Amino acid sequence: MGMEERILIVEDDAETAAAVRAVVEGMGCSADHCDTLEAGVAAAIATRYKVIVLDRMLPGGDGVEAMARIRAGGSTALILILSALGRAANRVEGLEKGADDYLPKPFEADELRARLRALLRRGTMQVLDNDLLAFGDLEIRLKARTVHVKRTHVSVSPKEFELITYFARNAGQVVTRMQLLENVWNLHFDPGTNVVDVHVGRLRRKLEDAGSAAIQTARGEGYIFAPRVGAG
Amino acid sequence: MAARATLRLAALMALAVTALSLGAMGLQYRLVETRLMAAQRALLAADLGGFGALYEQRRIIALRQAIDYRATAATGEEMLLLLDRQGRVLAGTRQGWPVGLTAKGDGFGVEPVETLEEGGTRWLVAARELPGGFPLLVARSLRPVDDTLAAMRRGMLGLVAAMLVAGGLVGWLAARSVMGRIGRVNDLADRVAEGALDARLPGPRSEDEFGLLETHVHAMLDRIQNLNRATHRLSDTIAHELRTPLNRMLQKLGRIEGQEELTADLKAEMRQAIRMFDSLLDISRAEADQGTGGGLVPVDLSAVCAEVWDLYEPLAEDKGLEAQATIAPGLRVLGDRNLMAQVLSNLLDNAIKYCSTGDRVSLTLEEAGDRHLMRVADTGPGLPEDIRGEAFERFVRAERDRGIKGHGLGLALVRAIAARHGARMTMPEGAGGFTLEIHWPRLQQSD
Repeated sequence: MGMEERILIVEDDAETAAAVRAVVEGMGCSADHCDTLEAGVAAAIATRYKVIVLDRMLPGGDGVEAMARIRAGGSTALILILSALGRAANRVEGLEKGADDYLPKPFEADELRARLRALLRRGTMQVLDNDLLAFGDLEIRLKARTVHVKRTHVSVSPKEFELITYFARNAGQVVTRMQLLENVWNLHFDPGTNVVDVHVGRLRRKLEDAGSAAIQTARGEGYIFAPRVGAG
Repeated sequence: MAARATLRLAALMALAVTALSLGAMGLQYRLVETRLMAAQRALLAADLGGFGALYEQRRIIALRQAIDYRATAATGEEMLLLLDRQGRVLAGTRQGWPVGLTAKGDGFGVEPVETLEEGGTRWLVAARELPGGFPLLVARSLRPVDDTLAAMRRGMLGLVAAMLVAGGLVGWLAARSVMGRIGRVNDLADRVAEGALDARLPGPRSEDEFGLLETHVHAMLDRIQNLNRATHRLSDTIAHELRTPLNRMLQKLGRIEGQEELTADLKAEMRQAIRMFDSLLDISRAEADQGTGGGLVPVDLSAVCAEVWDLYEPLAEDKGLEAQATIAPGLRVLGDRNLMAQVLSNLLDNAIKYCSTGDRVSLTLEEAGDRHLMRVADTGPGLPEDIRGEAFERFVRAERDRGIKGHGLGLALVRAIAARHGARMTMPEGAGGFTLEIHWPRLQQSD
């Protein structure tokens, strides 16, 4: 993120707020903090934020219910709900009511960082008007749903294609297992077993067999898609 | 459904009123009958008195002349006959003595008197044998009495019929009105049973027993709804109050450096604990919502099955299991996609966890009558005998499986979610391994 982005934190628990602020500042962004819903809504409308990290059970009400007021006030910020209401039903409800992402507490710093990066990136990403996503010798054709490494076709299953597309859209960023489960499989519960690892492992082996080490395990909680652009 | 109780009550009342009226009319009938008979008797007595006076003056001759005279001017309302000693007719309105009638007494008093039926007409008869052996017959027709009584009987019958019809009509109208009032309450109960806990009767309450019933039903529904809301609020509060301290712990854990393995273990344990109490909350929420249709939308069950199978199949293959899915396309149910996916995820996760290399895991989805049958089967060790009956209870785990990761909530959650969707579960035995069938109610065309 070249220039400094502003992120608003609406959170009544001081410890959590400090942890979120640490993540935000660690990413090179600046953070404002409000600890009531009213103050948060007022700040969201008054200042142009890129992302708002919004709690749910706040003094003054539920953050999910306040999203409509924030939008009505003219804010274009992307909203990440960060809440103790973390069951699948809560998450689906939040997303259906217009949240851009929903992270349950307790959360890990890595997870929050990955989510915030994805949101910041979404805010700046150009609409992909062309059909081709190219990373050096790795090429993804969206309409034909094909993957090529060094001009050799790599056979992928439909799910693997969705997986590599999601990776490609977040190239260079850490992508967590939870993000993959939510965005590629549209499942909002923790299945307990790391089912995602098996799928990523298969895709990764196919790419490696074709000569691309694009998918790597990231330290901590996920994967990173980092093809070496320009390498032969 | 007909308002049988109301109809019975109305019929009883109609019958009682009719019976009372019938009694009253019967009394009146008796009275009229007695009066009319008395009148005919008086006429007969007058006739006899007249003849008696003539007999006093000139005996049989005068009597014969008088009877002759009366016979020529006969109206048909009287019967007169005088015979001589040999039984020949001296005078009268008829040609012979009625068969079977014997003369009684010799005076001109009205007693003894008897009734005689002849040619469909009843007569009040005084039969005498005058001194010297002259039989005399004086009789009055009872036709006017009988005609009047017959008319009365017809009237009574008509009235009874009219009363019964009226009673039936009133009963039907009352039943209809009661049914209308009770029907509102019944419809409300049906809507609530289908899950619309917030359904209420519109309009004002009337100030009668039905209004009171509606008020009571409303109060009861308010209470149920409040309890349901309290359950929901409580699970939210538990989530908040437990997750916030866990969150602080996790943040602090993140600051520990140099003991990566230990912190990773701790994080995994915390994740497990959260999963466990999420499952508990999901179970109680699903149980609280059981029977309510709220929050359920049409979902393509086939697609959910295909997606979750797609997620788990590589896991099964990597473990050396033979995995097979047969999913009929386009089967839809009214449901919650995430909950249904969780059911399947729990079942497949279990199957893969307990099976060993070479075992078979299969998922089948097919139409079965008015249900969609989802079957997850494996050839693994199956449920041990000691927990067979209670495998779907919370925290029930077999002694045998202590070494395998799990918290004993997976099947309890499966059962709660199935019940939330109105689905039936069966566990066919005999094939070996573990097989669970869930019969989801299919989506009606109108939904």
